[in-house]
Amino acid sequence: MATLKLNNVSKVYDGAGERAVDAVTMHIDDGEIIALLGSSGCGKTTTLRMVAGLESVTDGEIRVGDRVVNNVTPSQRNIAMAFETYALYPPLRVRENIAFGLLRDRAPSAEIEKRVKSIAAMLEITDLLERFPPSISGGSQQRVSLARALIRNAAVYLLDEPMSQLEPQLRALLRARIKDYLIAHKMTTVVVTHDQTEAIALADRIAVMEKGVLQQFATPHDLQERPANLFVASFIGEPPMNLFPAVAKDGKIAVLNERQEVAFHVPLGSEAASRLGDGKRIMVGVRPHRIRLASGGEVTGATLVGEVSSNHWLGDHCQVGFQVRGCSVIAVAGRDLQARPGSQLPVVIPGEAVRIFDVDSGAAILQDAEPAVSLVV
Amino acid sequence: MAFLEITGLSKSFKQHEVIRDLSVAIEKGEFLVIFGPSGCGKTVLLRLIAGMMQPDAGDIVIDGRSVVDLNPENRDIGMAFQNYALYPHMTAYENIASPLRSRHVPEAEVGTRVHDTARMLRIDHVLDHLPKALSQGQKQRTALARSLVGRPSVVLLDDPLRNVDAKIRYEMRFELPRVLRRYEATVIYVTQDYKEAMALGDRVAVLVDGAFRQVAHPHEVYDAPGTTRIARLFGDPPINLVPVQPVTAAGGVEMNVAGGTVRLPADSAAVAGRDCTFGIRSEDIWVSLEPTEGLPVTLEAITPVNNRLVMLLRGDEGTELFASCPQGSALDHLRGRHKAWATMDLARAHFFDHGDGVRI
Repeated sequence: MATLKLNNVSKVYDGAGERAVDAVTMHIDDGEIIALLGSSGCGKTTTLRMVAGLESVTDGEIRVGDRVVNNVTPSQRNIAMAFETYALYPPLRVRENIAFGLLRDRAPSAEIEKRVKSIAAMLEITDLLERFPPSISGGSQQRVSLARALIRNAAVYLLDEPMSQLEPQLRALLRARIKDYLIAHKMTTVVVTHDQTEAIALADRIAVMEKGVLQQFATPHDLQERPANLFVASFIGEPPMNLFPAVAKDGKIAVLNERQEVAFHVPLGSEAASRLGDGKRIMVGVRPHRIRLASGGEVTGATLVGEVSSNHWLGDHCQVGFQVRGCSVIAVAGRDLQARPGSQLPVVIPGEAVRIFDVDSGAAILQDAEPAVSLVV
Repeated sequence: MAFLEITGLSKSFKQHEVIRDLSVAIEKGEFLVIFGPSGCGKTVLLRLIAGMMQPDAGDIVIDGRSVVDLNPENRDIGMAFQNYALYPHMTAYENIASPLRSRHVPEAEVGTRVHDTARMLRIDHVLDHLPKALSQGQKQRTALARSLVGRPSVVLLDDPLRNVDAKIRYEMRFELPRVLRRYEATVIYVTQDYKEAMALGDRVAVLVDGAFRQVAHPHEVYDAPGTTRIARLFGDPPINLVPVQPVTAAGGVEMNVAGGTVRLPADSAAVAGRDCTFGIRSEDIWVSLEPTEGLPVTLEAITPVNNRLVMLLRGDEGTELFASCPQGSALDHLRGRHKAWATMDLARAHFFDHGDGVRI
């Protein structure tokens, strides 16, 4: 196990003007699990391939532990990788595919057998050990590829879309078992995924990438609560963050509805007020789960009134869509919420849940501060 | 008689029976979601209703009239597909207008109806664009507008939000029911996302292996699933299912589960002495890091899903259980394994026959 450091790592493909990966810096602790998250073409896979040694590094350095590995061949980097395309050896049985890396490390055969058995049980592929890869399903091949990487003793583990082919019920279970395994063995791990659910479930920290640029590298909690910019704010979170155009004025934020009328106000702290001159146009963001709703409760001065458009009961929680003076808002509430379409609902948006973004650059303003001082009134 | 009645519908391809003796009755204005795993027959069923395929047996009656011998365009049905299926050489306007054109609706009325529908779906500003110039969400809205513009009495929607990003999906989930209510359409909506099924459906019809296994309100499908198979299709993480043998003891019913003994609620006599599968959803198990009366377990991993913590627990004898709770507790920042205690809300427990998986 080791640390993994990327310092200003860039990639420019021959003949391409744009940087596929642009000056990415990321320091991953020994034993840490991180996710590289983004949509297709964001640079996450190129980054992973540079770490693995499958792509050259145009600029910058990659360190595994104290060693710069830019010019080290893939097999000498002491990195284990599970490929999105599985890349299994067709003439070898599943058992032999999984054991392959250990054979190369000259592990004793009794130990190999024990470890293959244990990892196969964890990934629910015990019944497939004597089969050949072409005769098993894509989802099963994916688990074999994972087993082959996880069984090894490596400095760093790279998992490329490791669970994309699994049915949802099995995915939930394997995610948890794999996370337990990675932590118990103190494995430094990079998971590449386009699926934020997978990233949030597995990773200690998530690197959100877009257009080759690292947008934010933070814990799932911080990506939710303190997104660095509008891209992260709207990319992370389900349901997505509520975003409203707004104007700063007289120490308050006036949130605008679709007709550009003032729908409601958010009071600003003094620091925020001084940073935002009067009349500055901004975007205001509020996570759906930070909005508090009270069905049939008292409507006090500190409450907004929402008119419910839909209430989606999802078993363990509700997602409620409502209008506040022409603003469409989505909130997440407990499973017992009673809110019929057309009914009035008291709504509280806690000041500390309000995030502010620059309209032009998209950057968060006062990312680490609480921008508002009290409840929305 | 219901507005739309399907009775005894069957369809085979070669030896494979994809739809088996399927029946359902749908009320006027109802929003019925057909939900099932991939390959369960959803798309074939929709094509049979639309008239793009002929059934081997059975009848489809809309508003008192059998439609199985009618061409698709005479069935008074609008349809939108997962892949939008827009005509690439036509503007959004012409795409939306196409069902009206084929019925020779007067030009003035075409204009009024296309604009009304487009305004409703908030695409009136892009009507002169070709599909390639439309965003993903606008394409989806254009396809929906085309399915609604003829004011059909039945609208079939084949997984229309499958290929759109999360933001558009949520917008449409909240907007679609309102739009469809305005059109007073009877809706059949196909999806393989259980959350979408529960969010949108007045009723959810669970299609497994070509037949409806349960047709009920979302609350009922989730809180009283008819079989273990249906129970596992709803919920993330999936419901916990554990084989148990409840016994009568000390004037009540007890069972061993996950290495401990628990007492069942007073009305549990029906399960005593039977080989059962015990089902409990993750949100009905509470986890404490301080000793409680609950089962001693190992908390092995925390895998958050959106804003909920999902916890994998292991009982002393090896049984794995999922528990979950909202974020915002001492559990939020835990890492690695921890000793914990789990309490089950047995009033919300489910019991199924261990043999056939049917709810007891």
